[in-house]
Amino acid sequence: MTRPGPSLLQLQADVQARAEQAGLQLPEIVYEVVDHRRLNEIAAYGGFPVRYPHWRFGMEYDRLIKGHAYGLQKIYELVVNTRPVVAYLLSQNAPVEQKLVMAHVCGHADFFAHNAWFAHTEGDMMDRLASHGTRLRVLSDEVGVDAVEDFVDLVQGLDNLVDAGALGRAVDHAGNAPPLDGEATERDLLGHLLLHAPLLDWQHEVLAILRDEAYYFLPQGLTKIMNEGWASFWHSRLMTSELLRDAEVVDYAEQHSGAMGGSDGPMNPYKLGIELFRELFLRGGGERGGGLDAIFEARTIHNDLTFVDAHLDLDFARAHRLGDTDEQCAQAREQLLASLTNGGQPVIRRVAPRERGELSLSHSWSGSELQIDVAGETLVNLGRLWRAPVSLVTRLEGRELLLLCVDGEIRREFGELLERPAELGSSA
Amino acid sequence: MSADTGRIARDLRRFDEIVRGRIKQDLKRYVTGSEMIGRRGDRLVSIPVPRIELPRFRFGQNGKGQGQGQSSSSGEGKQGDGPAVGSAGSESGHHLLEVELSLEEMAAILGEELELPNIQPRGRARVEVASRRYDSISPEGPRSLRHLRRTMKSSLKRQISEGTWDPNDPRLVPAPEDWRYRSFRDVTRPDHAAMILYMMDVSGSMGREQKEIVRLVSFWIDTWLRSQYRSLETRYMVHDAAAKHVDQDTFYRLRESGGTKISSAYELADELLSKEFPAPEWNLYLFHFSDGDNWSGRDTEKCLELLRDKLLPNANMFCYGQVKSAYGSGQFKKDLDAALSTEDHVISCDILDREGILPAIKTFLGKGL
Repeated sequence: MTRPGPSLLQLQADVQARAEQAGLQLPEIVYEVVDHRRLNEIAAYGGFPVRYPHWRFGMEYDRLIKGHAYGLQKIYELVVNTRPVVAYLLSQNAPVEQKLVMAHVCGHADFFAHNAWFAHTEGDMMDRLASHGTRLRVLSDEVGVDAVEDFVDLVQGLDNLVDAGALGRAVDHAGNAPPLDGEATERDLLGHLLLHAPLLDWQHEVLAILRDEAYYFLPQGLTKIMNEGWASFWHSRLMTSELLRDAEVVDYAEQHSGAMGGSDGPMNPYKLGIELFRELFLRGGGERGGGLDAIFEARTIHNDLTFVDAHLDLDFARAHRLGDTDEQCAQAREQLLASLTNGGQPVIRRVAPRERGELSLSHSWSGSELQIDVAGETLVNLGRLWRAPVSLVTRLEGRELLLLCVDGEIRREFGELLERPAELGSSA
Repeated sequence: MSADTGRIARDLRRFDEIVRGRIKQDLKRYVTGSEMIGRRGDRLVSIPVPRIELPRFRFGQNGKGQGQGQSSSSGEGKQGDGPAVGSAGSESGHHLLEVELSLEEMAAILGEELELPNIQPRGRARVEVASRRYDSISPEGPRSLRHLRRTMKSSLKRQISEGTWDPNDPRLVPAPEDWRYRSFRDVTRPDHAAMILYMMDVSGSMGREQKEIVRLVSFWIDTWLRSQYRSLETRYMVHDAAAKHVDQDTFYRLRESGGTKISSAYELADELLSKEFPAPEWNLYLFHFSDGDNWSGRDTEKCLELLRDKLLPNANMFCYGQVKSAYGSGQFKKDLDAALSTEDHVISCDILDREGILPAIKTFLGKGL
């Protein structure tokens, strides 16, 4: 890992000057130049040079490095939401690629600094995640590598049980997670476990660390389309209006269309995002009118779900071939919205205990079933933390279903019929 | 993969160990074998990418009764299938080859799994291993190997010597004779020489299954030894009442017949070694597989004599694998063990069935001789 040389630093200064002239408000950006192995390693760690020890990062790395070795994927850039913003440049990138990456990074940096969903995240995440790693290594020395890793395995299976709605409450408060004075919100299950599960001291500490990290990464999952769309909108605008030299146009065009490409419709978040921003820019009045104001407002207030809901209308769906008929377009829009709700994760909330001591959960029905056998296993894991009965009410084949876990055993109880099950094959 | 350094190496190793079922066996059932489709040349290949999916609350299909296989794409990408879904089935006519592990990788895994010691070669380095090194320049060659800088240099030299060089208009136009190309030369370096001799009993009592077992054992031994020596000679020999040299293909395919005279094989082996593979120069590995049902005690005596006087003094290792067959008495191994128990480079081993293959390999190669 090295600092960029003088030519890259000059390039960075040029790109950022243009970006700021164009209206982006950039926090400080620091670049590191790395080779592909190191870049894949950092990507496996979620963008950070150091994390706590866990096989899951090794698994990610295995996938990335194989994809790289067979030419299936290549990571050009990696940006980390921290202060200063840290971004990585691949040492093998050609100069025009570095320019493109830097323009793209400007978009991300502006987004991290201004989108409301990131308002709560801490700025010192490099240090924070490194110290989390140190803590888990120390604890592994004290209580054993396997004990700590097994516990992390358990908690990682539950780390989608966090409350996106409570993100705002973490502002003005140390840490990324919402504060736990008194009670956790009904969807903040990790918070509830932290307050009430019978945990050993070291388990409590590990859970607090993992909860903090879950809340740090949560908004990135909620704003993928917007974040990539915003960065792509700006790299495109900056490159084609100011930064490109004549000789670089063809290479740039190839890179850009490679990133926007994908044969199966505009679900590519880069493509969908950039088109939504472009549409909004044009409808808002374009260059002279209020186009810029409209997109800057959108980047501040929306997440993917609200952004798509507000701006992906029938005209857009037709223009971008989301379906051949209006009906198909509407259906595609609904599917997309469903997949973006709660970042694609099921909404699970804590409800009043059915019995004293039981941890009772309810899955808020949104039209899709949980994978029931896996949900059962998840409950068993939850039961191991809670050390008392746990239950989940969900829906299967139109019926209410209660999954109850007592002493590691799962029982299923079907309730009343809530709707006719869909005819098999009717949706094909 | 081996060359990964840094902190991720520890996490990667841990992941590998879970996937292979070495540690944390309770996670083994969450291992799914997904794949990436890649390209090698014009073939599509499947690259296995194992994943471990910890249970979590997630949306998914519920089959009747048992849960069906889960969707293999993990999270990212398109979650809600849009109307235009890539036609997954359209390529069904193509055969996807799994990316082969290279034999080297396979040998490394074998060595690791069985905790095989690396072999200490003996003898002088003898064999020349050839390789190509692109480190010279030639005035002829394929366009793909053009060396522009050297071409320009020779063009400049020519123009200066012809007096056509004009510093004020420094244009260089290479003439055909100016072009220079990278070219290789063959380099050789010495290496240890090794030879494996496989001898197999193909008498009437050795059935199809017995030969299959021999085949598997030989394959793995071959793989391991090849990982230890760059150049390896392999010879095959079969015998019933008489022994003969065969090629690899015949070795594995020959049908059973006739009686058994093991000494015939050892005699032929001795002849081969003294003619072609003189001992101090060569690392010699001798493997013999039989069901142990020799013709007579007198022939067994002769075998032991041949081993003691001729073969053992020269070989790094003599391995005898006795495959259990319905007819064999298995007497030969008993006699061998009784007579040669003091020779520590004689290794014998019973292979009862396929389960016995890995232990046999470990027994044979575990000493690192």
